[in-house]
Amino acid sequence: MSTKLKQIQEIAGAVKNPFLEKAMEQKKPVMGYFCNYVPEELLHAAGFVPYRMRAVGSTGTARGDTYFTAINCSFVRRCFDQVLSGEYDFLAGAIVLNGCDHSRRIYDNWRDAKKSGLPAPEHLFMLVAPHVLRESALERYEKELKKLMQGLEDAYGAKVSSKALKASMDIYQKRHELVCQLYALRSQKIPAITGAEMLSVLMAITAVPVEDANSLLEKLLAEIEGRKAASSDDIRLMLVGGCMEEPEHIALIEENPAVVVADSLCYGARLLRPPQKDEAKEPLAALTRRYLFHPSCPRMINDFDRRKEALFDAFNESGADAIIAEKLMFCDLWGGEIFLLRKEAKERGIPLLGLEREAYGGGEGQIRTRVQAFIEQVQNAKARKQQAANGKEAS
Amino acid sequence: MIAAGCDVGSLTAEAVILKDGRICASKIIGVRALAALSAQQVMEEALNEAKLCFKDIDLCFSTGYGRYSIDFAKKNISEISCHGLGAFTVNPEIRTVVDIGGQDCKVISIDDAGMVSDFAMNDKCAAGTGRCLEILAKALGVELDQLGRLSQKAKRGVSITNKCSIFMEMEVLYHSYAGKKIPDIAFGINQAVAKRVASLARGIKIREKAAITGGVSKNPGVVSELEKLLGIKFTPLTVDPQIVGALGAAVFAHNELLGAQGRQQLAAG
Repeated sequence: MSTKLKQIQEIAGAVKNPFLEKAMEQKKPVMGYFCNYVPEELLHAAGFVPYRMRAVGSTGTARGDTYFTAINCSFVRRCFDQVLSGEYDFLAGAIVLNGCDHSRRIYDNWRDAKKSGLPAPEHLFMLVAPHVLRESALERYEKELKKLMQGLEDAYGAKVSSKALKASMDIYQKRHELVCQLYALRSQKIPAITGAEMLSVLMAITAVPVEDANSLLEKLLAEIEGRKAASSDDIRLMLVGGCMEEPEHIALIEENPAVVVADSLCYGARLLRPPQKDEAKEPLAALTRRYLFHPSCPRMINDFDRRKEALFDAFNESGADAIIAEKLMFCDLWGGEIFLLRKEAKERGIPLLGLEREAYGGGEGQIRTRVQAFIEQVQNAKARKQQAANGKEAS
Repeated sequence: MIAAGCDVGSLTAEAVILKDGRICASKIIGVRALAALSAQQVMEEALNEAKLCFKDIDLCFSTGYGRYSIDFAKKNISEISCHGLGAFTVNPEIRTVVDIGGQDCKVISIDDAGMVSDFAMNDKCAAGTGRCLEILAKALGVELDQLGRLSQKAKRGVSITNKCSIFMEMEVLYHSYAGKKIPDIAFGINQAVAKRVASLARGIKIREKAAITGGVSKNPGVVSELEKLLGIKFTPLTVDPQIVGALGAAVFAHNELLGAQGRQQLAAG
């Protein structure tokens, strides 16, 4: 295995990592955040190391269940369990987003836990992002971002200048371009990186300072060029869903003659925020547009058509054969999305397997059976198509 | 040419041995503590019946929940594909297979080569499986294999409305305490399980002919209720419906031995 990949997997497999610890030694404050609508550039410009919150290493939900109910999603319960066990005591602060009704409750619960003397950073922030995607929502989102900036300034004296924001946007733009290069290596005829490895990469780069992330990505790209991580006969899959942070889950899928070549995941293509055509020159306005109009998830209630087109474009560009769409139990947003996607995929003749699972555990046997049967089904369909094509050629 | 298939599920394990494409032996046993032990035992019994030994097997494939733990199998295949091909092998007119096993149920659509074209499988609960029937039979105080026969004697079958196995169990106890007759409650149990399977089947286009496999297919109460709910008549299979998964695995192994070009129609029996 590539040495860089091994290092990346180690970073992805733990809450803390040597890069983060080094940054903290240099007195750089770490700001935890939830969801893709919290602009990392803004936190970086304010002098923080943005750290995407995760439930990695979770061993249960006992503490989390004292604040959340059994019908809250397992990611939220597990992540909050980690919070209460003190795993995140290195954070200078944390920003919760109204990503969904499950995750937004982390803010209320964390504040309450703090009052009770349970582990919590000095400052907690709530960022409210619009649930619709339209020009009028831009203004509201920008106002919310300004409120957050003011909050950071009041709490830490961290003032963000336009110049600093522009510089941070440039660094993150570089990360964006490097990740795009990785996606290109992943979707080539014989992928240079598996889906499980890719998830580790994306988890790692959101847990280290962006400068280190860019360096890791550059070295990784150099190392894996020409690598063959799958077979040309493997069924090419696109993985669709929300929160997924277990590379071992994707590895379970890839135990079959299959490889994930494209995705639409939170730790995936939704981390890509390309510059928008009609971006303003002023950095905050440009950033607001970039984040609001980046590939959305079902929390954006009026964007299904655009999202669907982007998804099927990515599917076609990657040469994928089939889609596996996953949701966590009790996630209504993704439940509705998969229902709609199933219909769209059927109309396009694309095989789609819907899976429901719990974060970090459970139901492995059933998932294995479903995935294996699905891969066999796609293999059969592909073989028959090939036979028909051969027959046509012969005649 | 000897091909074998071994299906280790949650409650039973099955082995089928094909000699030149024909079934020469099959065995069903209750599972042991480890899947590997169940596989070893059931295959040994099948080999004894066929007067063969392990080294005579040219190729063996495994299926079922224990499929990964079977050392003597060269490859594992999902039980969905195996039940599809197994049923198709017995009757090539079969296009839909309903498999109700110990802990899951599947509705499988197959093409004209016996290959899976679509499927649905229970994922949220065990209501609609053999395990659910086992729990409810216990609550009723009867043996699992009596449920089907008892329900055929029902005069005023009760209605079990809960969808969860645990609540169904409470409902069975309620009817029992209320003095309802055992056959009437048995009818309600079978109907409730059939409803769960029918609800799953609605996600798949049911094409006839359809067959029912797995241990629960031996319960005539569930089968007749399911036929009513789906508006179809299941085509009886000429082999024990419980061995169909192992048969499918054996046919996959047989086909691999023959090579893709040399596939031949297999005769069951």
